[in-house]
Amino acid sequence: MAEMILEVSHLTIGREGSTVVEDVSFILEAESDTALVGPNGAGKSTLVQAILGVLPRRAGQVRLLGHALGARGQLPAAVRDQVAYLPQSIALQGRFPLSVAEFVGLGWDRAGLALPWRGRRARGAAVTLALAKVGGEALAKRLVSDLSTGQLKRVLLAFCVVRPRRLLVLDEAQAGLDAQAAEQFHSLLFDLRRSEGWTILQVSHDLEMVRRTCSGVLCLNRSLRCSGTPDHALSPAQLERLYGRGWVAYHHHHPGASRS
Amino acid sequence: MLESGFDPAHLAQLLALPFMQRALLAGLLTGLLGGLLGSFAVLRQLSFFSDALGHSALLGISLGILLGLNPTLVLIPFAVLFALGVNHLAGRSQLPTDALLNIVYSSSLALAVLLLSRVRSYKGGIQQLLFGDILGVSWLDLGVILLLLLGAGGYLLLSRRSQILLTIDEPLAISRGVAAGWHRLMFIVVLAVVVAISIKAVGVLLISAFVVIPACASRLVSRGFSTYVLVAALLGAGCAVLGLLASGAFDLPSGPSVVVVQLLGFLLALLVAPHTRSARS
Repeated sequence: MAEMILEVSHLTIGREGSTVVEDVSFILEAESDTALVGPNGAGKSTLVQAILGVLPRRAGQVRLLGHALGARGQLPAAVRDQVAYLPQSIALQGRFPLSVAEFVGLGWDRAGLALPWRGRRARGAAVTLALAKVGGEALAKRLVSDLSTGQLKRVLLAFCVVRPRRLLVLDEAQAGLDAQAAEQFHSLLFDLRRSEGWTILQVSHDLEMVRRTCSGVLCLNRSLRCSGTPDHALSPAQLERLYGRGWVAYHHHHPGASRS
Repeated sequence: MLESGFDPAHLAQLLALPFMQRALLAGLLTGLLGGLLGSFAVLRQLSFFSDALGHSALLGISLGILLGLNPTLVLIPFAVLFALGVNHLAGRSQLPTDALLNIVYSSSLALAVLLLSRVRSYKGGIQQLLFGDILGVSWLDLGVILLLLLGAGGYLLLSRRSQILLTIDEPLAISRGVAAGWHRLMFIVVLAVVVAISIKAVGVLLISAFVVIPACASRLVSRGFSTYVLVAALLGAGCAVLGLLASGAFDLPSGPSVVVVQLLGFLLALLVAPHTRSARS
């Protein structure tokens, strides 16, 4: 049996009195690539943030790399180091005086208090290598706030790859990218997943991309509606159950999205 | 017309006076501290917080005068309570933080003026509270500022990574193991204490300039985070010393002189800063 990277059992999450995610259970095996799909407001971002301990949960258990997530989101630092999270977007207000190399270095540093110059040489080497892996060597000295959306996503991937990780959690990684840039981003992600041995959980709206690249799908609309391989979970009948009747009509008009 | 022109001999005489030396030292340390804390505060969008705290501090000072206590002793607990209170309100309330701060500081200011109007001996001294009295800084005050500089500097240095991540994106920071709630609270408490301690030298009206202007000037020209913090701190210290020297040489009020020098520094940074913003696609 493959190693379990993430085990979620009976997870329920509430926000301001109402239940947003209810009784969700699933597991991710090592080096699987799983998409979390569902309509807007289905609780996808809430679910991934609760798994990472960013949002509190009301009930249920989360185990990351075999370690239970504490009630207030605590995890041993050694486990945290192996889990990376890419938010939907990072909103920087105005000119932000942080260079790309400095930002990627933050992904290398461990949690807790430390003198900034500790491990300087090792950090520098790791940052250079990480930027090379995402094809962003030329960006090292640019300011994070000067990057285009596509460049920023690349740099965020460097932030993840700067240290060996086991699990990567992406919240709509393709948001804000045009079709070509999204394609480039996904092929880069695909290559890195292979070479780094990452397990991936990604929130996605792009069902076509999910069909082509993911090994598993979780369909969420407050609770888990279905799960399995893309062929099974994204069949027209399942999609109608998940998104409602109107969505299927739209789906048929989507260029390249039809499967016989 | 200015009452006295520039006279190098007069300035040399001034520099020999112990109170002027203390003032310069106080300016240097306060400027360093303001620039250092300000560089983080400005990125966290806390510049209005320091302004509101400065104004509210007048209530703390008035209470001190009324109770016959050393204002500095009253100001530190007052500032900490203010920071904790605002943090709690902002977390609980449905209202935006700037509106809350506005309510807290205008009501504190009103209460403070009412209190001061009952204290006869202070009716004439309000100007000192508003614009500071850097020439009246004692060795004890200097020691407190130095301790604070070491404490705040040490904290920011050790938690640098957490502070930057929190400024960029809170969920990202938490996912990297940053104790977000604790650091957020700790930072505004430190900022509050720094503002409170600097008030004696700078005054309640101009204190936020020490936090905001050097940091913003540095933000315009810096190409990396370490440079940004360093330039902000040095700019804060440099402007304070230059401003005090100018105020001594031309016999001008000290606090406003420093702020005008800071403004000149900021305008210079605007001129030097790269004008073309890179296109965001």
